[in-house]
Amino acid sequence: MSNNTLTRRQFLPAGLALGGMVMSAGPAVAADAPASAPAGLSTAPTSMSALSPRLTMHAIDIFHGSPGAAMPVEFSMMDGGAYKPLKSFETNKGGRTDEPLLVGESYRAGRYEVLLHVAEYFERLGEKLPNPSFLSKVPLRFVIRNPAERIHLAILFTPWSYSYYRGS
Amino acid sequence: MAGVSTHVLDSSTGRPAAGVRIDFSVLEGSSWKLVKTMLTNGDGRTDQPVLPPAEAKVGEYELLFYVGDFFQRPGSNLAEPPFLDTVPVRFSIFDAKQHYHVPMLCSAWSCTTYRGS
Repeated sequence: MSNNTLTRRQFLPAGLALGGMVMSAGPAVAADAPASAPAGLSTAPTSMSALSPRLTMHAIDIFHGSPGAAMPVEFSMMDGGAYKPLKSFETNKGGRTDEPLLVGESYRAGRYEVLLHVAEYFERLGEKLPNPSFLSKVPLRFVIRNPAERIHLAILFTPWSYSYYRGS
Repeated sequence: MAGVSTHVLDSSTGRPAAGVRIDFSVLEGSSWKLVKTMLTNGDGRTDQPVLPPAEAKVGEYELLFYVGDFFQRPGSNLAEPPFLDTVPVRFSIFDAKQHYHVPMLCSAWSCTTYRGS
């Protein structure tokens, strides 16, 4: 693994082939990767099909090809004409949250907003963004109509773009 | 050419989304001030620039797309009410000499935006 010309795209399969071997072997990292680059996906996709109704989210950094880990998030619910904060947190290493955003009694029909601090996320990773950055705090608004159904909010983002959709 | 433009595409049909309401606002201090309300034309664009070059200034802007209304318009045949209703896109003009094309690709269940050209 002394070949330091591996591209980032090649790095993940190479890392997987190593199995349990140490992933931090310096030379395996692409020469142009920032020192603070986020880790690649380390877990298999998760099925939530058998779970009780809940709201979950998953943010993927498709600029780096990694989970959107440690993303600052503010989560709000529309109440009386304004979005009222429910909780603030950072995503976990997998780009998800340790607990569902809403589950059980708290999972109710309504209008919700997930506010992602995208500029802060990329600045922490050492990316140079314009000032002000094209995207900074990104509001993702959606409607939960039927609290008997599970909702998964899937998010793909870069410093210049994002997508979100009703996932599964 | 500088300024701001947009384009709304219905990704469920692969067609331009016509008649979509868009509210364009600018951040003044800590509050959003509505600049204008527009409707997309048959090509999914706006007849006039969202923000003409001469009015482009460094700052924070919002395009609010009425995606839910579009997918629930008369004659539409949605299986269930949409996941998306109004979709805000907030972005900065960081260099007033550059152009900012900010498209919205949407279905009732998903949307994508990006700095286009």
